[in-house]
Amino acid sequence: MDTISRRKFLTLTSGAAIGAMVPLLSLQDIAQAAIDRPLPANTPILVAVTLYGGNDGLNTLIPYTDSLYFSSRPDISYPAEKLLQLDSSLALNPAMTGIKTLWDEKKVAIIRGVGYPKPDRSHFSSMAKWQTGNPLTHISTGWLGRWIDTQPTDPMIAISLGSVLPPLLAGAKKSGSALPLGGLVIPTGQLAADCAKLSTASSSDSKLMALAANTMKNLFNISDSISPILKKNVPGSAVELPTINGGNAGGDTNLSQQLDIVAKLIDAGAPTRVWSVSLGGFDTHANEANAQAALLGVVSDSISRFMTQLKSTTRSRDVVVLVYSEFGRRVVGNASQGTDHGSSGPVFVIGDKIKGGFYGDQPSLAKLVDGDLAVTTDFRSVYATILEKVLKSPPERILNGWKKKVPFYKAV
Amino acid sequence: MDTNRLVTARLFQRFGFGPKPGEFSAALQAGNTATRTSLLTVPSFDNGAQRVAEPALTDLGKRPEPNDPQQKIFGAQMREQNKALTVWWLDRMALSDHALTERMTWFWHGHWATAIDKLNFALPMYMQNQTLRKHALGNFRDQSLAMINDGALQIWLDGQENTVRAPNENLGRELMELFILGVNRYTETDVKELARALTGYQVTRSNGTVTFNSRRYDPNPKTILGKTIAYDATSATNHLVDQTACQLFISERLWYRFISSRNPLPKQSGIQSAFGQRSISAAVSALADFEYLSDTRYSQVKSPVEWFISSCRALSITPSQLTNPNNLLNYLNKLSQVPFSPPNVGGWPTDEAWLSSASAQFRFAFAQWFIKQGDISPVSNLARKDRVAAIADWLGVAELSDRTTTALQGADGDPKRLTLLALCSPEFIVSA
Repeated sequence: MDTISRRKFLTLTSGAAIGAMVPLLSLQDIAQAAIDRPLPANTPILVAVTLYGGNDGLNTLIPYTDSLYFSSRPDISYPAEKLLQLDSSLALNPAMTGIKTLWDEKKVAIIRGVGYPKPDRSHFSSMAKWQTGNPLTHISTGWLGRWIDTQPTDPMIAISLGSVLPPLLAGAKKSGSALPLGGLVIPTGQLAADCAKLSTASSSDSKLMALAANTMKNLFNISDSISPILKKNVPGSAVELPTINGGNAGGDTNLSQQLDIVAKLIDAGAPTRVWSVSLGGFDTHANEANAQAALLGVVSDSISRFMTQLKSTTRSRDVVVLVYSEFGRRVVGNASQGTDHGSSGPVFVIGDKIKGGFYGDQPSLAKLVDGDLAVTTDFRSVYATILEKVLKSPPERILNGWKKKVPFYKAV
Repeated sequence: MDTNRLVTARLFQRFGFGPKPGEFSAALQAGNTATRTSLLTVPSFDNGAQRVAEPALTDLGKRPEPNDPQQKIFGAQMREQNKALTVWWLDRMALSDHALTERMTWFWHGHWATAIDKLNFALPMYMQNQTLRKHALGNFRDQSLAMINDGALQIWLDGQENTVRAPNENLGRELMELFILGVNRYTETDVKELARALTGYQVTRSNGTVTFNSRRYDPNPKTILGKTIAYDATSATNHLVDQTACQLFISERLWYRFISSRNPLPKQSGIQSAFGQRSISAAVSALADFEYLSDTRYSQVKSPVEWFISSCRALSITPSQLTNPNNLLNYLNKLSQVPFSPPNVGGWPTDEAWLSSASAQFRFAFAQWFIKQGDISPVSNLARKDRVAAIADWLGVAELSDRTTTALQGADGDPKRLTLLALCSPEFIVSA
């Protein structure tokens, strides 16, 4: 990774964008936000699920009648009878029973062969392309971050779970906020007063010092409003929220707990339109079958649980879940019962307002490009649809003029 | 900003882990030329480092089968050894009199980022750490050749799975992308060819012993970066280190971690030319140039470990003696940085990534916990009115803003609270 792409990627992997020194609302204003100005009813909400490491799309959505599938990867292919068949040629990984149920309810759009021109097989470069939404040049903002830029300033508009903000939510002028997963212990009393003094802006601050002060201040702003909500139970469940540790830059392992928090906050009416959660560990170079199935099981179970929880709320119909990874994996298995980095993969979009079914062409196993699956749908077409339909913003400005879309959203 | 103080502060912060009590004011007295020389010259003997006993690590052997009752004991031993390894290194960082060697070992750990999560065993990670320390300031060619034969790295990147029958590209790709050349300075064909050159390695996971099995090695010619011979791991690694891209890449990485991740390496910098023969110490010496050290654009956020260790040095804390180490590792984990557990093969992020609201919260809780166990006599022994004025020199901070000075003055009656605010102030979190 050269210094430019890496630097930019990490600049993006930031608590806030460089130019984020915008005036903030006062402590009390934000503390009251979740209670005083709940998200208007029927406002669509996006939940982006990032799978870090490169999920093997070919063992997620499986062409179970294609003999090339079995001959290309004899060690790690699934026998047809074990699979969850979706139609006469494609089936889901056996671990994805929850998603299969949602599919049967026509709530799952599967966009096949999603990627971008000239696939990059570096985790970092490829994830940067997916998250910035720009596969052509290295830029310093995420596609959702640029959407945040177009919105009124609000630290609660887009929230990422875990202590490190992904590039996805970094804009040029504003950014999303990070929400810790470790149970919120907000300084009170004397310490709170001290913190308030210490986080005042100072004219002698360098940019990074100003940001350090600002995030300290943000801590109060976000926590104050969210903490009473966190004390409530998960919707549709008697359990209280478990206390869990913060995540890391490579994705979190506790997807279901992240989604529990999101479900609760959506239920409470948090004025948040974009949520970002993640799961890591998909880099299955060796002994893939069990590892990937376990991870896909987590993804599938967590999402179906999440959708079930939402049913007991008034927001059930508003939520759209997007699931993606930085690349698929090589068609031919390696000698380690695993796969190396590949190119395209399926993207899942799930929700009540989604028109269930397949979109885009299934890449042919007979017509590989450098041993990899062809890209049949550009990720920008998926993003453009989400920007227009879910986030109600013109996609062209955010996606550098991109116009194509995928018709997976119901007209209603 | 007083340039003299800025340079002194950066020398301590970037090429060490911050000053111990009294060191900063002594350095100001001695002047920056002398301070620079003393910080960059590794002494033949380090009293502080000698006080840290090596961790008690043993070869745990093969993991028992899942249903074996021994499994539980084995798991407990594994966790104990991992913990011992981590606090051992934190102790070395905190106690070494001369911190440059540990600082460079820390840099290389983030460069050849290997995580214990996949290896499970502490012993191979310890051996890798010793290799990185041995070559921390030596020649990058020797370091690369040692690392390609490192058991932990081989396991981490599936090197033992890479055979003539079916190459596994993981190690080959990262060797070019992240370790020696930098992304896009090679082709996809080069990755495949390099993977073939690296075939034949086998590793004993529990102790990191690397063996070469010629039956798994691909002896045929490979074309790597335009040259075709029957490369093996040694000749291929040498070939990569020979590239001018290597000279540029390592200079970029040093610049990125020691000077600025936000501003690119200047064109035709003295760092690249100093690295011409792949001498790491020459490159580091070129990095510690007063021109860079006095440029106010090049501020950096201390990573959580750097922030914690500089606090330890100021407060004379021995990390392993904190009650108890599980809490310590839990705090570091919440701040997303535990030695031997980088998040991925790219190493840890920088700067803004460490400044989320979440980390601000954890930093306060962490500091409150360890301050109770530290020596704050450098301020508590002073008369109340003199305490705030002593903070900057004690902690090695270039300059405190009026904002922070006011906040500290409000706490000068309570030395613990005063220390807490100082350690969590933007001026201590960020290396100006």
